[in-house]
Amino acid sequence: MLTRDPLFWTALTNVFYYAALAVPLGIAFGVALALLLNSPIRGISIYRTAFFLPSIVPVVATSVLWMWLLNPQIGLVNMLLRVVGVEGPTWLASTAWSKPSLVIMSVWGVGGSMLIYLAGLKDIPESLYEAAVVDGANLWQRVRYVTLPMLTPVIFFNLVMGLIGAFQYFTQAYVMTGGGPLDSTLFYSLQLFFQAFRYLKLGYASAMAWVLFVLVVGVTALLFRSQKRWVHYGR
Amino acid sequence: MDGEGIQVRSRAARQAMWAVRGVFIAAAAAGILWLFVGYHAPRPQAYPGREKVVFWHMWTSNWAQVIRRICDRFNESQDRYEVVPLTVVGGSLKTLIATAGGDPPDCMAQWEQVIPAWAERDALTPLDTLMPPDEWRDLQGRLYPAVRAIGMYKGHFYGLSTGMNIWAIYYRPSHFREVGLDPDHFPETLEKLDAAADKLFKFDAAGHILRIGFIPRGLGGWVPVFGGSFWDPAKEELTLANPKNVEALEWMVGRAKKYDFERVLQFEAGLATQYEASWPFISGAYSMVLDGQWRVEQLARYAPELDYRTAPIPPPAGGRMLAGWSNGNFLVMPAGAKNKAGAWAFMRFWSGLDHPERAAEFYTWGGWLPITASIADTPRYQQYCDKYPEFRAFVRTLASPNIQVTPPVPVQAYLQSRIEWAEEAALRGRLSPHEALERAAKETHRELENLVVGK
Repeated sequence: MLTRDPLFWTALTNVFYYAALAVPLGIAFGVALALLLNSPIRGISIYRTAFFLPSIVPVVATSVLWMWLLNPQIGLVNMLLRVVGVEGPTWLASTAWSKPSLVIMSVWGVGGSMLIYLAGLKDIPESLYEAAVVDGANLWQRVRYVTLPMLTPVIFFNLVMGLIGAFQYFTQAYVMTGGGPLDSTLFYSLQLFFQAFRYLKLGYASAMAWVLFVLVVGVTALLFRSQKRWVHYGR
Repeated sequence: MDGEGIQVRSRAARQAMWAVRGVFIAAAAAGILWLFVGYHAPRPQAYPGREKVVFWHMWTSNWAQVIRRICDRFNESQDRYEVVPLTVVGGSLKTLIATAGGDPPDCMAQWEQVIPAWAERDALTPLDTLMPPDEWRDLQGRLYPAVRAIGMYKGHFYGLSTGMNIWAIYYRPSHFREVGLDPDHFPETLEKLDAAADKLFKFDAAGHILRIGFIPRGLGGWVPVFGGSFWDPAKEELTLANPKNVEALEWMVGRAKKYDFERVLQFEAGLATQYEASWPFISGAYSMVLDGQWRVEQLARYAPELDYRTAPIPPPAGGRMLAGWSNGNFLVMPAGAKNKAGAWAFMRFWSGLDHPERAAEFYTWGGWLPITASIADTPRYQQYCDKYPEFRAFVRTLASPNIQVTPPVPVQAYLQSRIEWAEEAALRGRLSPHEALERAAKETHRELENLVVGK
């Protein structure tokens, strides 16, 4: 029985933790970046390219790169922390920091969603901003009451896709931590993989895959139900 | 837009279309050419009249060449069978599926802990049923205890090893001399090993580790040294939380605490990888380290000038000499194999049951530890040990009755992962050694119960 397996619950908890942090953080950073990169400044295409590039780097290469960045002894992150007098944690080798490390790393790849937000921003009619300016709205009010509501369909799309991706989170954990330390990064898909290919329990793994499918469908359905309340299609 | 502009655009579009077509045609032509010139079909039988023995293994590159040579030698040695080897990456799952589908290989080389799991599912042929009782009795007497144990499950013999792995301590004589220790007299007890390790640790002014004297890892290898075991052969049950096992883990935790486990992790994270030429022992990051016999050849290849020695693990007071854990490569015969006689002949040939001198040659090709004293004692193998004197510590240890293998339960891989988890939980101070082993025992028992329910 799946429910009698403590590792099943560990994996489920880990994936919910990751989804709850990485998806909102990805949306926040993606939207913020898109807003910044929507400015009519010189060389903007270079900036856009620079922020988009990490998202097309193969996941395994990115994972290896971050293993070096987060290396507790010789990694760039801890070296920078040492400059300001902070002794950084052991990151991926720490049970407390391993999941946050992967969440931080996920922000590195927001370039893909940033591009979609950018397209969404370009789609917002200029007349709405002009009307807001006439009404005396300042920059923050224009973002809050024009940009974000008009961007909600794109945010909704990225939220659904991000959650589906988060529930299937696998490669980074497989390459960087192998589920450790102490199962702290044992995500659902990783546990499914171990059951199938390490313990050769294909039936069990198949049952886990069905549970994942139902979970993803359920969460997606909930999101679709909720969209009436917060997604504006400009109709 | 004027007509000329439209014409220019349509001409450009046609050219682009032709360029795309050209790329596809070139790719297709290259593919066809590859089929005729570059593609090598699986090698047909070199001896068409003979009975085919399909042999799957998981070795690649240079290792696959060694396997090919062994198969060629077998094929040349007789005129009835032909072994056809095939590298099958991810071979465990594929073999299991092929067995379930009724078309397995006749023989398979394995190193994953699959014997109990597969035997429990009737996916393996018991090799003892292929031998007359006298031969089986004789074989049991000749195989080293660990070699025999790794192939056994519920009274039957399923896997014949072609090379085992043993762990011993590698140490740097120059580091010993530097702190006033005599490298010619390696510590004979665990207590003396701890004292030597304490002298060998090096720190900078800020207390950061510069060199590790010795930090024990791998609980499975230490449990036998303390006189413990994960398995009670009489009752045929797991004994993960056996007091001796707890004692071993307590000692490991004590050593980790003394040098602050987090600090050790931090130091190790900054070291190169553990692979071959970049093994940190070579750079002097460790004065003593527990590792396997394969490092001897690697050191000869990548650091021929390195001054190092090996020694068996010293026991604590009341512990066992020449003790440790072992795993290895072994040949299995899936249930439903079509040519069992041919596969068994090949197994006997490779393992050297009928001709130790010949097998000794194969073992030296692969740098493998022999499975019987008769192979270890052959002039050929002794020459190999003379060439690599540090290999002797491993050969001597493998012969010991105190070498244990993973308990023969049908959830070996899971059990192994839980033992590793318990070790880590204790080293990190999450649970006490006793609690950690109790939890591993409880989870493994639950897994075993699930297996019974699932049958």
